[in-house]
Amino acid sequence: MTAHAYAGRTAIAGIGATEFTKFSGRSELQLALEACVAALDDAGLEPKRVSGLTTFTMESNPENEVMRGLGITELTHFSRVHHGGGAPAGIVQLAAMAVNEGVSDYVLCYRAFNERSGRRFGSGVQDQPAGASAEQAQFSWTSPYGLLTPASWIAMFASRMMHEHGVTSEDFGRVAVTCRAHAATNPKAHFYNRPITLDDHQSSRFICEPLRLLDCCQESDGGQAILVTSLERARDLRQPPGVIAAAAQGMGDDQQMMRSWFRESLMGLPEMAVCARQLWETSGLGPNDIATAVLYDHFSPFVLPQLEEFGFCAPGEAKDFIRSGEIALDGRLPVNTHGGQLGEAYIHGMNGIAEAVRQVRGTAVNQVAGADSGHVLVTGGTGVPTSALILSNDR
Amino acid sequence: MSEPEASTAMRNADDPFLARLQEAVGRPGPVNVARDPVNQPMIRHWADIIDDANPCYVDPDAAALSVHGGIVAPPTMLDVWDKAGVQMRRDGASPVGAVIDVLDAAGFTSTLATNSDLEMTRYLRPGEVLESVARLESVSPEKHTAIGRGHFVTWRTDYATVEGEHVGSVLFRMLKFAPGTGRVDGPSAAGAHGAGAAPPPDPDPSRRPRPAINADNQFFWDGARAHELRIQECNACGALHFPPSPRCRDCGSFSMGFRVASGRGTLYAWAVPHHPQVNGFRYPVLTGLVELEEGTRLVANLVAMAREHIRIGMPLELCWLDSHPALEPGAIDSRGPITLPQFRPVRPARCESTRSVTELEVGDELALCPIPVSATLIVGGALMTRDYFDVHHDRDLAQRRGSRDIFMNIHTSLGLSQRYLSDCLGPETVFRDIRVRLGVPNHPGDTMTMSGAITALDRATGEISVSFRGTNETGDHVTGTAALVLPGGSEHDAIRAASAAAHAEREARS
Repeated sequence: MTAHAYAGRTAIAGIGATEFTKFSGRSELQLALEACVAALDDAGLEPKRVSGLTTFTMESNPENEVMRGLGITELTHFSRVHHGGGAPAGIVQLAAMAVNEGVSDYVLCYRAFNERSGRRFGSGVQDQPAGASAEQAQFSWTSPYGLLTPASWIAMFASRMMHEHGVTSEDFGRVAVTCRAHAATNPKAHFYNRPITLDDHQSSRFICEPLRLLDCCQESDGGQAILVTSLERARDLRQPPGVIAAAAQGMGDDQQMMRSWFRESLMGLPEMAVCARQLWETSGLGPNDIATAVLYDHFSPFVLPQLEEFGFCAPGEAKDFIRSGEIALDGRLPVNTHGGQLGEAYIHGMNGIAEAVRQVRGTAVNQVAGADSGHVLVTGGTGVPTSALILSNDR
Repeated sequence: MSEPEASTAMRNADDPFLARLQEAVGRPGPVNVARDPVNQPMIRHWADIIDDANPCYVDPDAAALSVHGGIVAPPTMLDVWDKAGVQMRRDGASPVGAVIDVLDAAGFTSTLATNSDLEMTRYLRPGEVLESVARLESVSPEKHTAIGRGHFVTWRTDYATVEGEHVGSVLFRMLKFAPGTGRVDGPSAAGAHGAGAAPPPDPDPSRRPRPAINADNQFFWDGARAHELRIQECNACGALHFPPSPRCRDCGSFSMGFRVASGRGTLYAWAVPHHPQVNGFRYPVLTGLVELEEGTRLVANLVAMAREHIRIGMPLELCWLDSHPALEPGAIDSRGPITLPQFRPVRPARCESTRSVTELEVGDELALCPIPVSATLIVGGALMTRDYFDVHHDRDLAQRRGSRDIFMNIHTSLGLSQRYLSDCLGPETVFRDIRVRLGVPNHPGDTMTMSGAITALDRATGEISVSFRGTNETGDHVTGTAALVLPGGSEHDAIRAASAAAHAEREARS
């Protein structure tokens, strides 16, 4: 597979976010605008220069309102990616393609919500009307039985993972403990200065067995925006560019929306394997080239198969990789140095891309040695049609 | 005077009623001679209703070859033989009868058996005539229980043959309570959730989310309404698909039909939601990903089992929940009636060759066994154990006494427990004792699922201890322990030798 045309020729030139809270006290549209303004300020770019917007289909703030609020007078590209938290690297890839095609010079990727103080994803799908579209009909196989929330869908995979790979609740807990340890030194994290122990994890209540409260990411209010442009233009802006070395979307065989329980095996993440294959093949990089990774952690169990699908360890051995401390700051592959969505905030994975940018700039609070001269992996939502990307320093 | 006795005396001084109840404690009653000898017809009726196929109770040839050397009575029938008839004339000379008369007169008219501990010196044979003596062991001060205010009455009955050979004893406890004085469910349930917290969800399944029914999945939900589990099948190539699709992903055909599943499967994965709690469910909710024997999987609730029974790979069988009534007459889409597939454990095959103690370990689990509770089982079980209390056979009277319906008597629970243990371990499992405590009632329509484990084991003697429980949707109906003797150790051989000697002696006499 040859490199995607935009790879190495586009870059993230600015990142911006609101504060991450449990109650923003303002509208989701205001959060989106504040995040976009912050990203533009970071890059040192006039809002009027932006001519493209990409976001999630779940985003409640339409492109026209964001455009109006930013004072943009013309848009030439606006597009969205479906399937919830699987979208973050996907909307960056869309932006990079639009830039590289010459459709748009500067594209803002944004995601903002009051996911804690407004409609909480964790409350599940029970309020949805029983429509009969193909998408709504998917819920028919699970909702009448009480599997109504993302936690409940991931729990089904987790029980099988424990059975088949000998993973334990403590292994899930080690993921949470690591993310919270990283969040504890990140002033922007909701759980700043609040690390947890494995005992805390083991004594936290069940949300959906085998998942405990501390296996579940936060619910957060906040916004995150990412400015994508060509590498050449990025070099003229305020910050060192985060070069998009590779990006990919992925769906796997017999794909379902967080409920791919009808495949031959429930082990692994075939959709993430599709991303991994593209990233490695188009970039020429491999797992040994990655200095640090931001692995989607809406629920701790799915951090494990990501380590396996990208080849950081062999299938079934992620638990050993984690037990020996390899995902900690001093491990072989520090994971979620900002605290992840378990520790920093749940902004649908977009805050993870911002952390990768800080790592390649060398400005992360938990800076990993070599990241600013190497490569950083970021993944999108797990169990859903997903996406991933690799950022590199410009040299 | 020991301390407990002293405190009892002090309390009795303040409470003349309790003193009167406790007057007869320790005093043996009159000798009660069974009206009929141990006999094959009653054993057969009992085995029929308990659904116990153990040949030692009914098959002379098989029984002759067994450890018992001939037909024996099921051990939990020990206290059936001396029971009074349906007229239930109480012997006023019996201390137990006298206490019950006093409690009835004081308004504690309802009866609930709570414990029965049977100890068997040996098994009984047809033709033997028993006599018994009951001794009142204790009467408790007034207790406030979930079902009402009352007194626990405990007595021990010793059984012997009329020739004077001790054969066993039963320690029995019942609650005599005043009907209508039980705790109301509401306040305590709300209290458990703390002040200001949302009330617990309404578990009525009609409040569950309805499935979205469209042209692609109509066949499935139509099938469910007919209690038929349909798997989409390609009419062209025969491939099975779940979830269904308008087009066969294997051969490309748009001609899709279905095959009716056998309903047998195994558990592939599970999830047990605790939070958030929504209407339509009783939390925690047991859900499973079931792999059907046809090869496809589907999600369903796991029923007739508790959280701790869940094991990946366990065999399951289909049953149905008619969850939602129609919202509109005649509707066949989401507004129509909804029926949901559910899966329950499979009754294991009866162990026909008794397990040896040498192949067992402490901690070994006994297979789950669901027991459907029908009115026939409850009524038949009560009558086969000569228990004529109306709450076990008359729904109107049971409801008037505050029950939802008739409920199972303790002898049936004991019999089912005995059947469960010998079906798991084999027909020549010898019971030394079995002790049960009752919890929530078993009503018609419930399914009681038995589970158990080996808690102690002596390889030299072959003696083992087991714990077991029978659980229905509302909780533990029965919990208990049993001391058993299995082949492979010295005791089973000793029992066989003693049985043979007794048999030879009888032969010689006749």
